[in-house]
Amino acid sequence: MTTQTKPAARGIRGKTAIIGAGISEVGRVPGRSAMALAAQAALRAMADAGISRDEIDGVLSSVAFAAPFHRFSVAISEYLGIQPKFSNTLQVSGATAATMFNIAAAAIAGGLAETVLIVGGDSLLSGLTPDLALRSMTESRDQQYEMPFGIPVSNTFAMTAHRHMKEFGTTAEQFAQVAVIHREHARRTPNAQMTQPITVEDVLNSGWVATPYHKLDCSLISDGGGAFIVTSAERAKSLGIERPVYILGGGEFYTHEHIFLMPSLTTTGAVQSSAAAYAMAGYGPGDMDVAGVYDCFTGTVIMMLEDLGFCPKGEGGRFVEDGQITYGGAIPCNTHGGLLSFAHSGMPGSLFHFYEVVNQLRGLCGPRQVPDAALGLVHSLGAGFATNATTILGTEATL
Amino acid sequence: MNPVKDAHIKPLPTPDGDSEAYWQGLKRGQILLQHCLDCGHLQVYQESICRTCTSERLEHRAASGRGKIHSFSVVYRAPGPAFKNDTPYAVILVELEEGVRMISSMVECPVEDVAFDMPVELVCDPVAEDVVLPRFRPRR
Repeated sequence: MTTQTKPAARGIRGKTAIIGAGISEVGRVPGRSAMALAAQAALRAMADAGISRDEIDGVLSSVAFAAPFHRFSVAISEYLGIQPKFSNTLQVSGATAATMFNIAAAAIAGGLAETVLIVGGDSLLSGLTPDLALRSMTESRDQQYEMPFGIPVSNTFAMTAHRHMKEFGTTAEQFAQVAVIHREHARRTPNAQMTQPITVEDVLNSGWVATPYHKLDCSLISDGGGAFIVTSAERAKSLGIERPVYILGGGEFYTHEHIFLMPSLTTTGAVQSSAAAYAMAGYGPGDMDVAGVYDCFTGTVIMMLEDLGFCPKGEGGRFVEDGQITYGGAIPCNTHGGLLSFAHSGMPGSLFHFYEVVNQLRGLCGPRQVPDAALGLVHSLGAGFATNATTILGTEATL
Repeated sequence: MNPVKDAHIKPLPTPDGDSEAYWQGLKRGQILLQHCLDCGHLQVYQESICRTCTSERLEHRAASGRGKIHSFSVVYRAPGPAFKNDTPYAVILVELEEGVRMISSMVECPVEDVAFDMPVELVCDPVAEDVVLPRFRPRR
């Protein structure tokens, strides 16, 4: 961080803090249901915070394909033996993770709850019945205007990345470099799903999924859950939490539902969602020490580096090539390995980005630690960039 | 949602109150665009209102059926068993001459020949007794 003057209080800035974080076993976890993975993460987050179940009065969750409860947040509350006075199950696809933090902060600041459990878990690798697997592959696109043409989930992201290549000369090698860096990061992360080193050539030779994406340009399919305890800044203080991580800013933006109505295939709602989060936090992209950037595909990261303001439009490929998204670069991203190499269990996938950034800001990342990390950004997105949400986090010194 | 026993069957559009005329138009070989009589906005995604000005005064007019490829992705891993035998196939984002975009897939063209800005024209593909899908081929 370089900003010297302390920004004024605005919106949810600094009103809440993350006091506990937990993730379940991740990767291939047979024999544990989506609910069990979510519950394991939740109990670990509570233990991390040093609080008990009866101190939680709010529960927010994402949905799970393998446990298709319409009201997952209510079901997981029951599973955990919690009766919250504030609860909701949020569904804006991959962007859900960041929205949960923003909404938890707003709910606490607005008095709807004091201590909120954010939780998600899914079992995409081991727990899907054939029916549910099919549903997860196809159901998210429009039944009339998109699905009849055989659009896989990857297709919308593939078409945006392809257009980025056409408009800005971004190369397949630059996409591949994103995968290589993520794999390198995952090698230092305990329990990462993929730790075998890869090269750019490995990515380019891994076979097509949907052009311009090869198999190793695509994120993983995993089991796993994540959970966080968010409470008011006052309560974090009174609990004597050692290293609270404050929610400094949040923003969302929704530009379209259908890929054919996306205003530009190469500039996304991440521009607006991050601008709102930066303005609320009083910091800019140059102030961030570490970032969690949704990486469902390699090209997604390149586009987001631009839209989040880490580099100019069209230069994301070169920014990656220049080593700017790893240690020693401008903005170390996804130091846990991301969805590409750590794990991707669907909606909870982006909770792993939060887990990493929170622990970076707490100085707990050991060999992966970014020195003196004080400000971090997490950006979650989904549905072919239809949904974008950004959260900015900081240590006490950044308040 | 199709249960697994029907997984080999391709999903077909089920028209609703907004889209009935659109799918009927395709059976006559036409892509019907909604023209807003108040602001002139055009939309292919059928709504009860104009997305630009919310007017309900919309009139259907047939598009030229010509356009160019704004972006595309050749699918090698199919989304489920129904499309497995079709791979590789090119899903395209077509920009019609009228300026609106739509999702479709390419026919009568090897996937390696599909390219950005390629001129394309409508091919009405009767995929079921009562359903015609708008696909595209290289313009002749």
